[in-house]
Parts: sequence; C-alpha cells; structure tokens
Amino acid sequence: MAEYDLTPRIAPNLDRHLVFPLLEFLQERQLYNDNHILKAKIDLLNNTNMVDYAMDIHKTLYQTEDVPQDMIERRADVVARLKSLEDAAAPLVAFLQNASAVQELKADKHYNLQLLNDKYQIGPAQIEALYQYGKFQFECGNYSGAADYLYQYRALCTNSERSLSALWGKLAAEVLMQNWDIALEELNRLKEMIDSKNFSSPMNQVHSRIWLMHWSLFIFFNHDNGRTLIIDLFNQDKYLNAIQTGAPHLLRYLATAFIVNKRKRPQFKDFLKVIQQEQHSFKDPITEFLACVYVNYDFDGAQKKMRECEEVILNDPFIGKRVEESNFSTVPLRDEFIENARLFIFETYCRIHERIDMGVLAEKLNLNYEEAERWIVNLIRGSKLDAKIDSQTGTVIMEHNHPNVYEQLIEHTKALNSRTYKLVTQILEHAQAPAAH
Amino acid sequence: MCIICIRPLRVEVKTLKKSFNVPGFFSIQDNRTRGFLLPIVLLLSFSSQMTSRFFYQGGDHSDTDDEPTDIDDEPSDTEPAPTDPNGKSKYYVDGNADDSDDDDGQKRVVKSAKDKRFDEMASTVDQIKNAIKINDWVSLQESFDKINKQLEKVMRVIESQKIPNLYIKALVMLEDFLAQASANKDAKKKMSPSNAKAFNSMKQKLKKNNKQYEDLIIKCRESPESEGEKDDDDDDSDDYDSDDEIIEPDQLRKPEPISDSETSELGNDRPGDDGDAPWDQKLSKKDRLLEKMFMKKPSEITWDTVNKKFKEILEARGRKGTGRFEQVEQLTFLTKVAKTPAQKLQILFSVVSAQFDVNPGLSGHMPINVWKKCVQNMLVILDILVQHPNIKVDDSVELDENETKKGDDYDGPIHVWGNLVAFLEKIDAEFFKSLQCIDPHTREYVERLRDEPQFVVLAQNVQEYLESIGDFKASSKVALKRVELIYYKPHEVYEATRKLAEMTVEGDNGEMSEESKGFEDTRIPAPFVVTPELVARKPTFPENSRTLMDVLVSLIYKYGDERTKARAMLCDIYHHALLDEFTVARDLLLMSHLQENVHHMDISTQILFNRAMSQLGLCAFRVGLVSEAHGCLSELYSGGRVKELLAQGVSQSRYHEKTPEQERLERRRQMPYHMHINLELLESVHLTSAMLLEVPNMAANVHDAKRKIISKNFRRLLEVSEKQTFTGPPETVRDHVMAATRVLINGDFQKAFDIIASLEVWKFVKNRDTVLEMLKDKIKEEALRTYLFTFSSSYDSLSVDQLTNFFDLSLPRVHSIVSRMMINEELHASWDQPTGCIIFRNVEHSRVQALAFQLTEKLSILAESNERATEARLGGGGLDLPPRRRDGQDYAAAAAGGGSGTSSGGRWQDLSYSQTRQGSGRTGYGGGRALSFSQAGGSGGYSRGRGTGGGGYQNSGRTQGGSTLRGPHGDTSTRMVSLRGVRA
Repeated sequence: MAEYDLTPRIAPNLDRHLVFPLLEFLQERQLYNDNHILKAKIDLLNNTNMVDYAMDIHKTLYQTEDVPQDMIERRADVVARLKSLEDAAAPLVAFLQNASAVQELKADKHYNLQLLNDKYQIGPAQIEALYQYGKFQFECGNYSGAADYLYQYRALCTNSERSLSALWGKLAAEVLMQNWDIALEELNRLKEMIDSKNFSSPMNQVHSRIWLMHWSLFIFFNHDNGRTLIIDLFNQDKYLNAIQTGAPHLLRYLATAFIVNKRKRPQFKDFLKVIQQEQHSFKDPITEFLACVYVNYDFDGAQKKMRECEEVILNDPFIGKRVEESNFSTVPLRDEFIENARLFIFETYCRIHERIDMGVLAEKLNLNYEEAERWIVNLIRGSKLDAKIDSQTGTVIMEHNHPNVYEQLIEHTKALNSRTYKLVTQILEHAQAPAAH
Repeated sequence: MCIICIRPLRVEVKTLKKSFNVPGFFSIQDNRTRGFLLPIVLLLSFSSQMTSRFFYQGGDHSDTDDEPTDIDDEPSDTEPAPTDPNGKSKYYVDGNADDSDDDDGQKRVVKSAKDKRFDEMASTVDQIKNAIKINDWVSLQESFDKINKQLEKVMRVIESQKIPNLYIKALVMLEDFLAQASANKDAKKKMSPSNAKAFNSMKQKLKKNNKQYEDLIIKCRESPESEGEKDDDDDDSDDYDSDDEIIEPDQLRKPEPISDSETSELGNDRPGDDGDAPWDQKLSKKDRLLEKMFMKKPSEITWDTVNKKFKEILEARGRKGTGRFEQVEQLTFLTKVAKTPAQKLQILFSVVSAQFDVNPGLSGHMPINVWKKCVQNMLVILDILVQHPNIKVDDSVELDENETKKGDDYDGPIHVWGNLVAFLEKIDAEFFKSLQCIDPHTREYVERLRDEPQFVVLAQNVQEYLESIGDFKASSKVALKRVELIYYKPHEVYEATRKLAEMTVEGDNGEMSEESKGFEDTRIPAPFVVTPELVARKPTFPENSRTLMDVLVSLIYKYGDERTKARAMLCDIYHHALLDEFTVARDLLLMSHLQENVHHMDISTQILFNRAMSQLGLCAFRVGLVSEAHGCLSELYSGGRVKELLAQGVSQSRYHEKTPEQERLERRRQMPYHMHINLELLESVHLTSAMLLEVPNMAANVHDAKRKIISKNFRRLLEVSEKQTFTGPPETVRDHVMAATRVLINGDFQKAFDIIASLEVWKFVKNRDTVLEMLKDKIKEEALRTYLFTFSSSYDSLSVDQLTNFFDLSLPRVHSIVSRMMINEELHASWDQPTGCIIFRNVEHSRVQALAFQLTEKLSILAESNERATEARLGGGGLDLPPRRRDGQDYAAAAAGGGSGTSSGGRWQDLSYSQTRQGSGRTGYGGGRALSFSQAGGSGGYSRGRGTGGGGYQNSGRTQGGSTLRGPHGDTSTRMVSLRGVRA
C-alpha cells in the first residue's frame, strides 16, 4: 500500500518537527522497514536541536550504547547556545513573568516599546533575543515554552516579517502540543495575514497557502468541526488554485471531507470537475471512487475502489487516525467514509434504476442480504429513499414521480404573475412619486 | 479562447486586374482561385511568379509603370535589343552579356518594359541636344521638365537608388551649355524675350536640381564614358544579386562585377575578361586594392591609416553611387589589415551591417552566400570577444574615437559599438525571409534548411557569451530565437536536425577552412590580428527536444521581457501539444492568461498563438478529448480564414478587397513551409469532432434544431450538402465528413468510421492506429447516443444485450453511457436491473408541449426584460431590485452555461458572456449551477422541467466541459474562462 502513501509529498511542506508525527504513524503501520524510518528520523533531527532524542534513536537503530562524537559535540553546543540565548532574553522574560508589570502594557505597541525601554531598559535587542530564544526552544522540542515566548514576542514585535514567522512557529508549537482550538485560532490569524493584499509576491503567497493547507491537516482531522472547516478552507478559489498548481495530493483530503460531509453539496459538482481535471497529476482510490460514481457511472469499479479506499484511509496519518476505546481501537473516519460512500453509490444507482435485485444490491454495497435489506428499510423509513421492497421477487422498486407536463408548465409560469404584479406596482409608485412632488 | 483575427487583407488579384487590365491575366487568376488544392506555398510562390510575369506583360501598355518588383528580375541583361533606335541599351549587351546565364523566355517581354523608359529618356535627351544646338531655351526648359518626370518613372522601374547615367549626362550637358551661355553675354542679349525668360528660369531650376546629384555629376565629369558604363553595369549586377531570390550557381561569380566596379572606382582599367577564373582575378585584385589603398608596404600600415580608410568607407555608406557589395568587400579587406583586436571588431561590426545593407527591400531576402558570410563574421566577432574579455560591446554610449587604438596589451575595458542581439535577430529574420521566398518544393529550400545549424550554433554561442558577461536579459532574447527554431519540430524532425548538425557542420567547416586557406596562401600579408576559432562551430543538441526547450524556456521565464516570455510560453505550449501532453499544455495556457492578453500583442505573436491553439486542438483530438479539440478549433474555423489566421497562405474573399499594402504585409508574415500545420488534417479533426458532438445533439433536439448549435460551421456545411440534388462519392475532407454524418445519423457507425478512416490525412497523425481506434470508439458511442435519442420514443423497453450487439460495445460501456444519459436527463428512462433492460418512460414531449415550454421560457425572458427596462428607467429605485438583478444575471448565465438561451435570447448570451468573463472565472460553471439550485430550491421541479425542455444544466453536464460544450456562442471562451477559473 506504500504507493498511496503521501508522506514524501507532504513532508516537504511541513516543518521538521511536524514530520515526526507522520513518521511515528508510518512506523506504527509497518509500511516501511523500521530501520529506514529510524534513519529518516535521525536525518530529520540532525538539523534540530533535539539531540537527546536523536541519540536515543541512534541507540535503538544500531543497537549500541555508543553515540557518535559529533552528536555529543552538538549537544554541548546546543546547551551552550541555549544558555547564552536565555541570558540575552532574561530581562524581558523576567519582566513578562512579573504579572503586575505586564499589567502596565497597553494595546498600543509603540507605547509598550517606549515603556519597556524607559522603565526596564529593554530595547529591541532584548526583544529580538526573545524571538531567538523562542525559536531555539522550539527547535529543542520545548513547544509550550516556545509557544509562550512567541506569543509574547508577537505582542511586542514591529517587524511584520518576523511577526509572520513567529506566527508560523506558534502554530507549529500548538499543533505539536495538540491544542487544536488554539491552533485553529492561530491558523485563521495566519490565513488572514497570507490573504492580505500587502503580502510580498504572488508566488510567495501561493507557497504560503500550500504550507498553510498542509499544516492545517493536523488541525482539521483532529478538531471536532474540522471536516466542515477543511472544505471551507480548501474549497476557496484561491486555495483550490494553490492545490491545483502546487499540491494536487491535497485533493485526497478534500475528497474525503466531501464524502464524509453530507451537507456540503453545492460545491461538490465543481469539485468533481477539479478532480477530473487533475486526473493526470494526482489520483488515488478516493478520487477515483468519486470519478467512478459521478463521472463514469461504473458501479462495479466504484465498489472496487471503495475497498481500496479503506486501505488508503487506514494508512493515511491524517484520515486514518485511531481512537482508542478501552482496549480496541477504531478508525472513526473510515467507518464514516465507508457508510457515506455506500450511500453515494446507492443514491446514484437508484436514480437510474426502476427495479433492483436485492442480492445484487447487497453485493454492490458490500453487505449480506439481510444487512442490505435492513439498510434499505432504514433508508425508506427515514424517507431518504422513495422505494418499496418486493420481498416475493426480492427486489427494490423505485418510485419515480415525474411531474406531468401541465404541472411543469404551471410551475414555470406561476412566478410570472407575481413578478408582473410587482413590476406594475413599482411603475405605479414611480409614477405617483413625481406627481406627489 | 480566441483565435486572433488579423486585419482582413483581401483579394489582391482583383485590384491588380482592375488597374492593369491585362489580357491573359484571367487565366492566371483562374489558376489561383482553383489553386485551393495546391499546397499553399507552392501557390504563393506560384502567384508571385505570376505577378511578375504579369508585370512584364504589362510593359506593353503605355500607362503601366512596372517592372519585376522584387521577385524575379533584371532580365534586361539578356536582351540584345537590336531594334532599339538609339544605342543606349547597348550597355546591357556589352556590359552584361556574359554575365547572364539566365535565359528564360520571359526576358524578351520584360526587357522592353525597362528599355521603354530608357528609350523615352534617351529621346528626350536627343531633344535637349537639338535644342542646345539651336539655342532654344523654351523647348529646352520643356524637355528638362519632361526628363525629370521620366526620371521618376525610371527610378520606380529599376527600383534602385541609382540615378541612370543617361540622366546625369544630360545634366552635365545642360550645365555645360548653361555655363557657356551665361559666359557669352552677347548671345544672351540677342535672345528673344521669351527665350531669355526661359533661360533664366532654366538656370535656377538646373542649379536647384543639380544640387541633388552633385557628386554623381562630378564623377561623371571625371570619367564621362567608361564610368557610365561601369556604373550601369554595377547597378545591374547589384540589383541582380539583391533581388534574386533563387540562388543560382552563378552566385559564385557574383563577385566579379563588384571587384570590377571596385577597380573602376579606383581608376583601374577594366579587366578584359571577367568571366573566367574568378578567384585568381579576385586575389590579384585584392593585392592591387591593397596597394591602391595604402600606397605603401603592408608593414607600414598603421592604426591611423586603417582608421582613416575605415571612416572614409563608412561615410560613403548610403550615398548614391556606393556599391553595396563593394563596401562589404572593402570592409572585409580592412578587417585583414586591422591593427588591434578592438579595431578588427569594430570593422567587423561594420562589415556585418554592410552585409545587412546588401538587401535594401523589406520583401526580398539577403543573398544566401552573403548570409553565410555574415554568420561567419559574427562567429569571428564572438571569437574576438571571447579571446579578449576586456572588450565590451555596447550600443548605448557615444564612444571615444580612439578607443579601438588600445591594443592587445591594454588591460582596461575597451568599449566597441555594436549590438549582438540585434544582429542576431536580423540574421534570423533574413533566414526566415529566405525560407518564405524560396519555393518549398525545390531542392534549394532543402538546401536552405540545411543552413539552420549554422544559425543555431551562432545563437548558441551568442547566448553563451551573453550569459558569461551576465547579460541575461539579452540572452533570453537569443534563447527565444533558439526556441523558435525548435518548438515546431516533432521528435523525428528534431532527431534529424541533430544528426544533420553533426554531419554538415563538419563538412562545412572543412570547406570553409579550405577556402580561407586559399586566401591565406595567395595573399601576401597574413591578417594582422589573427583570431583563433574559439567558439564552437558546431551546435550541441541534447538528446531530447523537450530538455532543450525546458532549459531555454526556463531561462526566458526568468529573465525575459513580457513579449519574449509570452512568445516562449506559446512555443512551449505548442511543443507540449506536439508531444501529446495535452494537460500540461492546457494548464500552461490557462495559467499564463495569454488568451486575454494576446489581443494586445503584435500580429506575429497572435499568429503564434493561433498556431499553438491549433496544435492544442490536434493534440486534444489525438488523446481522445473530442470536445476540447472542438473547442480549440471551432473559433479558428468560424470565419473561414484559417489560412490567414495561421499565416499559411492568403485566403481570398469576395467581399473584402485588400490593398497592395495589406497584401505585402500579409505576405511578409507568412510561415515558411516546413513550419506549416497540415491544414487538411486540421480541417478533418475539426469537422470530425464537430460531427461527433453535433450528431447526437441534433438527434436530441429534433423539435427545435436551431436552438442549440454546437458548431455553426458544421451545421452550415451540412445544410449545403443536404441541398445537393446529387451526392457523388466524397472527395474532399468536407465531403467525407458529411457522408459520414449522413450515415451516422442513421446509426451506421461502421460505415461512418470507414468513411472517416478512408481520409488520406490520417497518415500524418502520430500513432495513427490508436487514434483511429479511439475514433472508432467515439463514433460507436455517439452512434449509440444518437440511436437512443432518435428511437427511444418507439420503444417501451430495450435490452442491453441488443444494444451491445448493435453497437459492438462492451456491456459496462453501454451501461455507463446509458446511465450517464439518464443522470443527465437526456434520456427519460431507467434500468430494470433484474432483466437488464432499459425501461423508457414516455415523457418525451409532443410537439405542442415542447412549444408550450418554449413559450413559457420566452415569457419569462420577456418579463425579465421588462423588469430590466423598468430598472433602467427608474434608475434602480425599487428596494427589491438588487436581488432581482442578481436573478437576472443568474438566468443569463444559465443561458450560456446550459445553452438554454432561446433564439431571441442573443442579448442574454452576450450578457452572460461578459459576466462570466469579468466574474471571478468560476461563474462559467457557476452560472448554470447557481440557476438550477436556486430554482430547484425556490420553485421545486422547475429545473427538471427545464431539463426535459431540452435545456438546463443537467442536460449539459455530459462530460467535464459539458455545460459549455453545449453553450451556444461563446462556448469556447466560456469554457476556457471557467477552466482558468478553476485553475489559475
């Protein structure tokens, strides 16, 4: 199933630290050789400051207690640098930890800077140090510290570029701490900044959007409301364009969101077109499933794809998220996906059929006969389906109601009456108005 | 997507006919109109010959001032003209008899054209002479005016800057006589009043007039007789070379008359026999030239002397009486004696410019051997530049005169005037022009094409040099030139070019060195500045044309200016399309937003755009995207000016006349033959895809066929073919497609396919078999759809097995097609799964019902327009107007999107068109969709009603681009717009 694994395509758009959860997931799924993943992890850690962690992995990977010299050196280096940064940022940190002092700050940034400068002798250098310190904390894996510092830095910083990167850092930290609500807030803030007009270059903007979307996957597939939000975000013109130009693999997530979301249908047709357009640049069972049901009307194919989808979902770090319940784990999204996909097939199937054999239907739905019957009865009871079951012949009979021609014609012309009436009153009003003058 | 129209340039033939009224011309014209079948370029060259021949004939008429304009020419040489009353024309005999090896039957006729002028002039001169004898100033004045008028005509005829000698001589004669007369006071007194008056005015006139020809007169005075002859001579040969487009073996001999005139210029006597042993003679002349120029030993030549001579030659440039070849020769010689590399460079630049000067007209092209030399010179320039990195080429600043004095050992930067890119572009333009002019069905054309590697290597070197000095902006321009040489080449051709480049350049080099050896051996001094060949003389091609394109194009995207980028992008699109990468090409097109901007670009870019669009259409067809193919091509065919739009020949129309000016312009932008897109193939693809879309569409809308027209062009052709009383076996592409359409309407897919497949042109399609296979499949599918549309009302149920048997399609395929039709509500039926039957619900509207639906639709449009009218009148006063306005737009968008605009709804379509354009782009789809949702929500069942009425969104969503396929007018642009919306 490794062929549908998107990690290599997603990873370049993530922060190093954000790749860890993905690698962890892959390790768990046993898709790749364990050693390869461990090596990948070390490579990943090489440019971060999480030296201790790297050492641990190194030990498991090579089954030794020895650690390469450069790692040890690097550790010393990191510690020294941490110390110096801590010192540099100390005055500001001390100030910020003093609750009463912080009270003095106001909404006005310039006032604050002035205040800090005058009263506490904290100048731009210290503020800059705070940023560096926060960044360093993040690189060391101390996400909560980083999040705090960066948050405070943002309150004091005047450089918009810096502020942006602090925001990215904050978002990453929140994601890694799994504070989904806060992360979502940060995400929206970041989105606003990216979409604002004074963003540097269009190219840059598109890249930022792609990044943002990748990062947001963490949030959307964990947040309660995420599935609706992901459609809201990804399906915006600008973001859809970014997906199409830069990261067509994100279509998988959008497609999944569309399938598990029953409500969001208006954009769905458009989305199908996008999927078709991008067929050449990206396809996986999930998008192919949609193409089968809605473009080719190939229901057998759709079924096959549905089975493949299940695999894909299980192996995807975002969609295939497990929920541990007592002692067995489920993948809630998968169940939902399958249920909805089944419904999709059935719905379309019914639209073009007059009479369906229950056996065939059961087969198409990957259910056994009784299950299928129960499922359909439930649909009929829930008035989602206008049909009857003929149990003697074992068929479902659809009841199509076709409005007759006269009704249609009346329907067409009904509105005209009121429109004309409105028009007339309008004209009359207008005629009276000048007369009144 | 729009195909750009170039201003209509129409029927030159007619105008010519009118103005010249030559018998015998009609047959020619006939030829041309019938010439449709001929390959266009053949036609082109053919026609140009025709014109010139016609011109010759025209010479018989008194009022035509004509002469082989620029195409064929200077035939005058051959004609011995024994009948001519005065000896004037003898010049031609004496001077050029051995020169001409060109004996065409035409010459005889032609000759009189030019001679006539001369004759007239000569007779006027005679009159002047007579008048001088009798001291008759009145008639002298008349004759003078006359001769001036004649001069104009003559000048037009011989098409050169050179004043005929005869005239100059007459001037000299007059001047002499005038001087004599004014000196003789007595005689003056004796004159009659009228005579005296004429004398005075004559004096003034002559003074004014002669100022123009001052130097010529002086020259004439210096060597009255021989000079004249030689001048004429030179003139002729000059013209001959520059105008002749057919490069003949006698090109080799071309230098003779030049060196001839050169010697005469220098006061040397004329060699007796200039027909033999040209090289020896030339060389010996060279030596003499050297002596003449410097009058001292070669070793004594200094920078100053060279510089002085150089300036002298340059100043002569453009002056009357300066032979253009002569100047090139002189300058070339100077390069040999140049003292410093910078000087050599400077002179070389002048040589190249002088070589460009050789061909004065815009329409003719540079003689090919001059072109080759020019390329060689450019390579030498590059050699020097590479050898001396401190020399900078610049064309912006005024330069210090002594800059080039700085020698080899000078370290600082030396600036030399010149513009490599401009030169390169000019060379490219000349290459292009020569290919335009040469008849593509001759060997010469092929020979000329073989010169391409020479240019490629030059361009490559220039680009490398520019990159090495960091001028990326210029190098991107050069890269574009290279791209333009590659983009139209399919893989096979590219391979061939690659091989050719490897082979011929070697051969050429060998030849070249031999030649130059010949020079060096015989010449006494070796050039002072020896330039080693530093830059590669052999182009390097990567394995794959795509790789090369990618490299060049990415360079251009990075550094190029707007136009360069746009052109590169178009070439890129073309090339992708050529390699069957439809999606990539399409994405490029859409992302670049070229379709919107291309209207503001120059015509040649617009042509390129059209070419790219056509290629994209062909590509779409090859990969089986019929509707896309149709979308790309339909607009190209809508005006019936395909040839013109693609610059592959001139199309004619009865309704517009082209001025000669327009015609010339048009001719100048023609594509050379080897770059042509096969028009017949293009037409087959267009009509076939139109057929595949239209046939089921017509079947689906029998009640009001006029309403939804996908391809107007196709419909018109079909109408025409239906009107024919007798249909013969198909001959043209059109006939074939029409015949196929007729059988396809009856559901006979096999026959339809056979007819289409019998078209010869498919052999030009890459992987023909798969394409035909695809075509067969499509035809089957459309036949099935047509069948269902046509006969669904006759069935109550229909078994799938029967359909699969009928149309030879697999079961899943039939199932898929029929299901799609059901979902889209094109077919009112549903499956009966246990028995595998299609059950038809007979909800097909009767004629009355269909009309009733149309009526209601028109009613709502009427109401709509009433509302709009009120709104406009009341100035949007009502509170409830804004939402309604929005409704209106939705409606209109639906008209375009779903194609439900009625025949009276032209306005709405327009409106929707603009709306989709200005809208964020997605409205193309959005329009239709928005409608069906809002309507379905607001008044349930409406959308369905519309669907059954034959319009509606669902109907149209057959395939991806569905809604727009079916859109009426602006379908293509709507589609593209909406695609872009999604994409960009």
